[in-house]
Amino acid sequence: MKENITKRIFTALLVVGICILLIQGMGLSHEDKSDSPLTEFYVENYEETGAINLVEAILFDYRGYDTFGELLVLYIAITGVIILGKEIIKPKGEDQQADDGGEED
Amino acid sequence: MKSIVVRTFARALTPFILIYGIYLMLFGPLSPGGGFQGGVVLASGVILVLVTHGRKKVKRLTDHVESFDTIGTFIILLFGIVGILIGGSFFINLTPYRMSSLVFLDIIVAIKVFAGVVVLAVFFFEQGVESC
Repeated sequence: MKENITKRIFTALLVVGICILLIQGMGLSHEDKSDSPLTEFYVENYEETGAINLVEAILFDYRGYDTFGELLVLYIAITGVIILGKEIIKPKGEDQQADDGGEED
Repeated sequence: MKSIVVRTFARALTPFILIYGIYLMLFGPLSPGGGFQGGVVLASGVILVLVTHGRKKVKRLTDHVESFDTIGTFIILLFGIVGILIGGSFFINLTPYRMSSLVFLDIIVAIKVFAGVVVLAVFFFEQGVESC
């Protein structure tokens, strides 16, 4: 029980901390960046990539490195979910061998 | 899921979903869409069959799909490195044809995203079936 309370306090502190960070991040993005010279460059010259779709031109041509990072994030996320999930959610057969009738679901 | 209505509709809809996914994947530079969206739409077709027809119908696909995720990532990394060696920058267009690198990357990204989402869906589906 004591362990549970400690865990809850830790979770609450974590949530508050993330909230503070996110609010600060929102404050940073308040200034309008829509008319920077880079934006105009993309809009005027995106046809040099051959694509008609502006999003595609930026995503796979000008910002290809970012896209690669995005793919790595997806890859690591899926790998992490499967590795951790196989540890946490064990199959029912193994669980019953460990303790009989302990499950409540 | 045993209902025959759901199974029939899923069987009728899946080819169209897959064709739409391939269209989004291949025509990314020319129309709204791209690798990520195409891959997710392709995966949604497979997930529909998985949910309605059960694990066995897609077993032949999902047994091999896990490795595509890793292989796709490394092909893209290799493509970028070859661009550095030949043209001096990451993800340069290697062939003289316009859009060739865009379409190539679209296809690889779509396969990678498709494999990832299918692996994730199969994993959660199996856990859900086991725990209930």
